[in-house]
Amino acid sequence: MTEVGARAVGASVRRVEDPRILTGRGRYLDDVVLPGMLHAAFLRSYAPHGRLLSVDVAEALELPGVVAVYTGADMQRLTEPGKPGVIAGMDQMPGMALPASYGLAVDKVRHVGDPIALVVAESRYLAEDALELIEVDIEPLEAVVSYADALDPAKPPLFEEVGSNLAFQMELPLGDVDGAFARADRVLTATISVHRHHPNPMETRGIVASWDSAAQKLTLHASTQSPHMLRLLLPPQIGVPMEQIRVLAADVGGGFGLKNSVFREDVAVAAAAKDLGRPVKWVEDRLEHLATGGHAREEKADVELAVTDDGRIIGARLDLVLNVGAYLADPFPGSTMAMAAVMFFQGPMKLEALGAKATSVFSNKATYVSYRGPWATGDFLRERSLDIVARELGLDPVEVRRRNYVVRDESPLAMLTGTPYLGVTTRECLEEAVRLLDVPAFRERQEAARAEGRYLGLGLAAYLEGAPPPKTNGERQADIVGDETTYLAVDERGRVVITTRQQPHGQGHQTTLAQVAADELGVRFTDIDVLWGDTDITPVALIGTGGSRAATMANGSVLHGSRALKAKVLALAAELLEADAGDLELADSTVSVRGTPGIALPLAELARIVATEPERLPDGVDADLRITEVFDGGEGGWSGGVHACVVEVDVETGLVAFERYVVVEDCGLPVNPAIVEGQIRGGVAQAVGAVLLEHAAYDEDGQFVAASFLDYLMPTSTLVPDIEVHHVQTVLNDPDVNFRGVGEGGMIVAPAAITSAIEDALAPFGAQVREQHLPPSRILELVGTVPVR
Amino acid sequence: MTSPLTSTDISLRVNGEERSATADVRTTLADFLREGLGLTGTHLGCEHGVCGACTVLLDGAAVRSCLLLAVQARGAEVTTVEGLAEGDRLHPVQQAFHDSHAFQCGFCTPGFVMTTVALLAEEPTPSRERIRECLSGNVCRCTGYQSIVDGVALAASRDAG
Ligand code: FES
Ligand code: FES
Repeated sequence: MTEVGARAVGASVRRVEDPRILTGRGRYLDDVVLPGMLHAAFLRSYAPHGRLLSVDVAEALELPGVVAVYTGADMQRLTEPGKPGVIAGMDQMPGMALPASYGLAVDKVRHVGDPIALVVAESRYLAEDALELIEVDIEPLEAVVSYADALDPAKPPLFEEVGSNLAFQMELPLGDVDGAFARADRVLTATISVHRHHPNPMETRGIVASWDSAAQKLTLHASTQSPHMLRLLLPPQIGVPMEQIRVLAADVGGGFGLKNSVFREDVAVAAAAKDLGRPVKWVEDRLEHLATGGHAREEKADVELAVTDDGRIIGARLDLVLNVGAYLADPFPGSTMAMAAVMFFQGPMKLEALGAKATSVFSNKATYVSYRGPWATGDFLRERSLDIVARELGLDPVEVRRRNYVVRDESPLAMLTGTPYLGVTTRECLEEAVRLLDVPAFRERQEAARAEGRYLGLGLAAYLEGAPPPKTNGERQADIVGDETTYLAVDERGRVVITTRQQPHGQGHQTTLAQVAADELGVRFTDIDVLWGDTDITPVALIGTGGSRAATMANGSVLHGSRALKAKVLALAAELLEADAGDLELADSTVSVRGTPGIALPLAELARIVATEPERLPDGVDADLRITEVFDGGEGGWSGGVHACVVEVDVETGLVAFERYVVVEDCGLPVNPAIVEGQIRGGVAQAVGAVLLEHAAYDEDGQFVAASFLDYLMPTSTLVPDIEVHHVQTVLNDPDVNFRGVGEGGMIVAPAAITSAIEDALAPFGAQVREQHLPPSRILELVGTVPVR
Repeated sequence: MTSPLTSTDISLRVNGEERSATADVRTTLADFLREGLGLTGTHLGCEHGVCGACTVLLDGAAVRSCLLLAVQARGAEVTTVEGLAEGDRLHPVQQAFHDSHAFQCGFCTPGFVMTTVALLAEEPTPSRERIRECLSGNVCRCTGYQSIVDGVALAASRDAG
C-alpha cells in the first residue's frame, strides 16, 4: 500500500484502475448498451466432422422477437473468406497451409462448436430459443483427432484444398548435429507431450458491432488485447475500409494471448450489424468458450539427446508435432508455434547443436491460439530432458543444471541462433533458489519422509525470455510486432496525456506508464492521464498488449517521450520566464529557476498561456506540446529466472500439495513490484492448473468432453500455494531502459518445475514423467496403483 | 423483449432502494440486475454456478445470482458491489483489496468483494487457511489468489484493530 513518493518507479504504487473495478464501475464488453441494440447467439456444430447438407432456419425466423438468422450462405453473400496469417507475413512461409474460411460454416463442419448459424433477436433469451428451432442436417465424416490420425493419409483432409492434414512442416539444423552425436558418450531418447489446455480468461470473448449508415462507419466494441487488429483484418472480409472502422475496448477481463486474435465470430457479427443497420451484441457464454473460444498447447516430441558422461547435453534432435485444430488463428496461426517451440528448446542451455523437425497438423478440434508463452513446450522439453539426464546418470538435477546452464560472460556467449547471452543471470538465480530451498537439508528430509511413507519431491526449472532480447551484432532482430509508438502531450489544462497502443487487460498500465512519466517529467502522478483502447486516437499496433513487451517497449517509449516532452516544456517556460532553459527544472508539476526561489510557473499556467494567450509567446517558438515517440527497444535484455518447488504427493489419492513455491526472478528493474509479482504469481497459478487439473479433452471420436467448469477444472484458492518471489541483481544493458517483460514467465517455466517435483517425489516408484498433465488418475498410474490405460 | 404472457413486474430492495422493473419470469437475478436495473457491476463468468463472479448478498447471505430467478428475490434485500462504497469512500473490504493490489483484470472482483463482505460479517477474524477455504468457490484467472487472500486478511485485521 504505497503512496507515490519522491520516485514513483520502483514503488508498489496503488493502481489507478482499482477504485473503478472494486466498486463495479469497470466497463467490460457486456456492459456496453447501445440504443436499438440486438442480441446474437450462435448455433454450433454437435458433430466433429461432417458435410453440412442443409440448415433450415424457417421456423426460427417465425419466432416473435427474432430479427434475422444468418447461415454460411448468407456469409458467402455478405462477406469474403478470411485467409489467416497474411498480415503477419505467414503467406510468405513456404509450405504453410492457410485455408480460408467464412464466419459461419459453409459446406463442412470441422469441430464440435463450429458456428453454423447466427440468430439475431431482441434479447439473448429469445436468440437462444430460436437456436432450438433451426434444423441442421450433417452427414458425418470420419473424425481426425490424434496426431496419428492427422498424419494418416487414409483419413479425410479437413480442407480439401490443402489435400492432406499437414498444416506446416519445417526443419532446422543449428550447428553440427551429427558431430555432436558422434562426440556423445551416450544417446538418450524420450517422447514428451503437452496436453491441450487454454487461456480461459474470466471474461469470455465478445463484440458489439454497430453500423452508422450516414457516416458509413463501423464501430466495434471488443473484448480484445489488440484493438487495431480488428481494423486491420476485417476490411477485406466485410468490405468496409480500415479508415471507416473504429474499435473501442475499455476494461478487458483477461486475455493471456487468446484475445490477440480476430475470430470468425467477429466477422459474422460485424457483417450482421452492417446488414441490419442496427447494433448487434454477442457475448460468448462459458460453454461456448470452453469448447471453441480457443485452445492451446497439444504438442508431442520425440527427443534424442547427445549426452556426455559428466551430464552435459551437447546436442539434441527434436521431432515435434503440434495439433493445430481445424481453423487457424488470425493473425498468428498456431502452426507457427511448432517452430517457435523448437527454437526455444535451447534457452539458457550450453547446447552445441540442435536438429529439429517441427510439424503442425490439422484435426477436428478447436482453434489453437497463443497462450502465455506460446512456445513454452520448448522450455518444457529442455527441462524434462535435464531431469532425464540426471536420473539416467544418477546425478542430482541441481548439479545437472549447474553443468548445463550458461554462466554469464563465459563461453558460449551466444545462443545457436546468434542471440547473445548478454547479462544472463540464470546461474545466479539457480544458486539463490538452491539456497532458499536448502536442497541438501531437503534431501535428508525427503529420505526421512519416505521412510514414513510420505512422498516429497523437489523440482526446479529455468527459462529465458527476450522481450526484446539483446541485439545481435548491434542489430535489433526483425520483429513483426515492430517499434513502440506512444503519443504524449500536455493538454490545455496542464495535464499530461499519454496515449498508448497497449491494451491493458489486467497489467495496470494506467498506473505504470504514469509512474514512468511522473519521474521523467517531474509531474505529479495524479496529473497524468493514460488513454488506450480507441483506434481513432491510439497508435497502430499489430499486438496491443502481449508477448511480455509492455515493460520494455511501452515504458521505454514513455520514458524517452517524457524526456522529449519535458525539453519542449522547458524551452517554452524559458521564453515565458526569460530564463535560460538550462537553469530550469520541472518538479511537482511546476517549472522553477534553479537558485532563484520565488519564480515558479505551474505547468497548468504554462498550458493555459499556450492555449489562450499565444500572443505572449515570441514569434516562431514551438508551442506544440505534443510528442510522437517511437522506441525500438534499446539494447534489450533477458528476462528470466528459476522456479523451484517442493510438493508432497499423496499416493493413496493421487493428490498433489505444495509445501513451498519459490521464484527467483530477473526481470530487470520493476516499475511497480506488486504488479510484477502479480504477473508472476498469476502465471504460476495457470501452470498449477495446467499440470494438475485442466485438460481440454476430446474423446477418440472427436467429441469435446470438457465443456463446463465441472469438467474443465480451474485452480482455486485452496490449491494454488503462496508463491515467494525473489529478485536477483540485474545486469543493466541499456543506459535508460532496463524494465523487462514478465507477463509470460510464470506460465512458461512453472509447468516444468512442478512436473519435475512430482517425478522426484515418485522416484521410489520408478515413475518416469514424460507428460505435462498429471491429474490424480495419472499419478495413481505412475505409482502403479491403477493400471495404465 | 418480454411477452405479455410471461412477463411480470418484479420489485425488490437493491442497495437500500426500492427498485422494480418488468421482466420475463425466467430472467435470472443476475440478468435482472444487469439489464433490468443497469447494475453491471455484477459479472457473469460461467452462468452455471461455479465461478462466483455473480455473487451478491440476498438478505445478507452470499448467493450466486446466475442460479436464481429474479422472481425468487421478490421482496428481498439485495446488495451488489455498487452498494458498498459511500461516495468516494471505499468500503473497508474494497479499501483493503486496493491496498493489497488484490486484483488484475477485475472481472472476478465483484464476486470476491461480495464473498468477502459476507465472510467477514460472519467470521471477523478468519485464519489464512480459512480465508482460502471460503474463497475457493470464486475463480480468478489472473492473480493466483495470494494477493486476494492478503486483502481479506488486511480487511480483517483492520476491522479487528
Ligand atoms: S456466473 Fe454465477 S457462478 Fe459463475
Ligand atoms: S483479476 Fe482477472 S480474473 Fe481475477
